[in-house]
Amino acid sequence: MNVSQEDARESLTMIKATSDHTRKVVASSYASGLLILWGLIWVVGFMSVHFYPRRVGYIFNTLNAIGIVGTILICRKWPHRVATKTPASQNIFWRIFGLWFLLFAFASLWLLLLTPSKGIQVCAFFCTVAMFGYVVIGLWFGSYFMVWLGLMVTGLTFLGYYVFPGYFYLWMSPMGGGALLATGIYIRVRWR
Amino acid sequence: MVELNNVIHQPARLRIMSSLVTLDPGEQIDFTYLRNLLKLTDGNLGAHLTKLEDAGYINIEKTFVARKPRTFISATGKGRDAFETHVAALEQILKGSQK
Repeated sequence: MNVSQEDARESLTMIKATSDHTRKVVASSYASGLLILWGLIWVVGFMSVHFYPRRVGYIFNTLNAIGIVGTILICRKWPHRVATKTPASQNIFWRIFGLWFLLFAFASLWLLLLTPSKGIQVCAFFCTVAMFGYVVIGLWFGSYFMVWLGLMVTGLTFLGYYVFPGYFYLWMSPMGGGALLATGIYIRVRWR
Repeated sequence: MVELNNVIHQPARLRIMSSLVTLDPGEQIDFTYLRNLLKLTDGNLGAHLTKLEDAGYINIEKTFVARKPRTFISATGKGRDAFETHVAALEQILKGSQK
């Protein structure tokens, strides 16, 4: 079989492009759904807290419960859309679940030590903890958009906290939630 | 010197194998999902999958999910090895060590 150097180069380029595209499409099948879900939760949550600041606990406990149920449903649906369940994918599901559970368990303990006095301190703290989770998962799976998204929203959280403390919740609704939502929609539209 | 693989080298089959080996070993992809991903027609994809299956490079599993028939495809160990060898051969050609 005779293949020229040019043909070989084209074939290798095609292999790389297909491989990258597959990786993106598989990642988008669950990542887009999760980002849209949590983006909406942040948009609605922060907007509601801005207008009803005394109900911050009630609002976020309710929305987080919805988010956790939604996350489980999306993650359980994903293997049926892309791949059948394999021991490996089941392990990954539980490892990711374990990561988030332990991350927020540790964050709750840190909160006991730090004893923040203001609501926006607690919110900014949990936003950055969640974004730390995005960065870790991004590095874990080699999804660099997750790393950048995590770093960008962390930066926006700090900006809102220090520059617009009076409008922090209003700032975080489009900047934090909006960023997650926009990324989820972008992945769903562009990575198909 | 590493040999090029005639079955894999055809462009559509090369793309199919590239997608399948990107998944983790044991992971399977849905037929419709693969068709949309590679932008192939049902008939075209089906014909190429048959050739790859005959060569023992892929595994096709027909099953029911929520009472609907579904077809899942995965690369076999033999297919992964053959693909790896084919890529190595292409890289050798590119380096000019094979004509």
